[in-house]
Amino acid sequence: MTVITHVQRKSRLAQMVDKPGGISVGVALAQAKANLDGLQDQAIALIAQNIAALLAPPTPGLPEKMRLEMAYASSSQIIDAASPFAMDDLCIAARGLCDLLDAAPRDGGFDWRIPTVHAQAMKLLLALPGDATEARQAIVDNLREVLRRKLGAGQAG
Amino acid sequence: MTTLGDSLRESAVFNLGGAVTMIVDDSPFSLTLTANALAGFGIRPAFTVGSGGDAKRILQEKPVDLLVVDTDMPDIDGFELVRWLRRSGLNPNAFSPVIMTASHIRRGRLNQARDCGANFLVTKPFSAAMLLERILWVARDNRPFLEVGDYFGPDRRFRDEQWDGPERRADRMGATKASNTVEIA
Repeated sequence: MTVITHVQRKSRLAQMVDKPGGISVGVALAQAKANLDGLQDQAIALIAQNIAALLAPPTPGLPEKMRLEMAYASSSQIIDAASPFAMDDLCIAARGLCDLLDAAPRDGGFDWRIPTVHAQAMKLLLALPGDATEARQAIVDNLREVLRRKLGAGQAG
Repeated sequence: MTTLGDSLRESAVFNLGGAVTMIVDDSPFSLTLTANALAGFGIRPAFTVGSGGDAKRILQEKPVDLLVVDTDMPDIDGFELVRWLRRSGLNPNAFSPVIMTASHIRRGRLNQARDCGANFLVTKPFSAAMLLERILWVARDNRPFLEVGDYFGPDRRFRDEQWDGPERRADRMGATKASNTVEIA
């Protein structure tokens, strides 16, 4: 097997990063936080919208593969929206659901109670106050157990 | 949630205000989130693009210093886009730093994630601090680019340690003799 090594020229990014001027990490993070905080309500609305989509009855005649893809997309969008706002338990729940949907047979036989359970759990996580640590942990633990039972121990981290 | 890494001191100063940056994500809200985080870092994204096809068209015409690319997109997904970019021969874009972001990676795509040629893949949830840490990391990433079989991208080995044992990776790739190395400046 031939390995061709292209010796890296300094990228433009590398050339500019240490140039005089710029901003400190502290200021950059404070600015990013301020920018993102302004989007938090929109993120929560998007999460609620995708949870509702997961709980909605299926369109009659929708092929199983399509239904799985739509549920995967909803779950994935919940992670996207929750990610910057430290809603880690919501992300864990949605990621578990993505794992289960990804592993589902495309030709039928998926247990559709699983997305419903996950969506109800996520609805609860979204509604619980931030300091309800024990209740949040219990929900996440239960979902991990579902994942462990369906996919095996390796996936339930 | 990942917290501020050791490499990010609050007082450390960086300057990426002139970076021509492209964000590629099919989700408009994710595009907005990433663009707002980057704006906080002093990076005004020059291109916010909703599809791999649009990204390809721009990359063929404009030099881009940094790409932030979502993995899961319809039509041309992020892995395919980065793989195309690395093999495109476009100068300097083929060598531009690429950070990929993923809400979830499908099991069938794990090999593509490893082999597409991105500098870094960040899985969500991640904080603004982690994104900044990765951007500064790729800005200073001086790993050489390698062409090995079907792979073209930064050296996937992060540690530079001598290995005295047999070269089993080459065996796995079907080689019968030790690797030949060609260096291109």
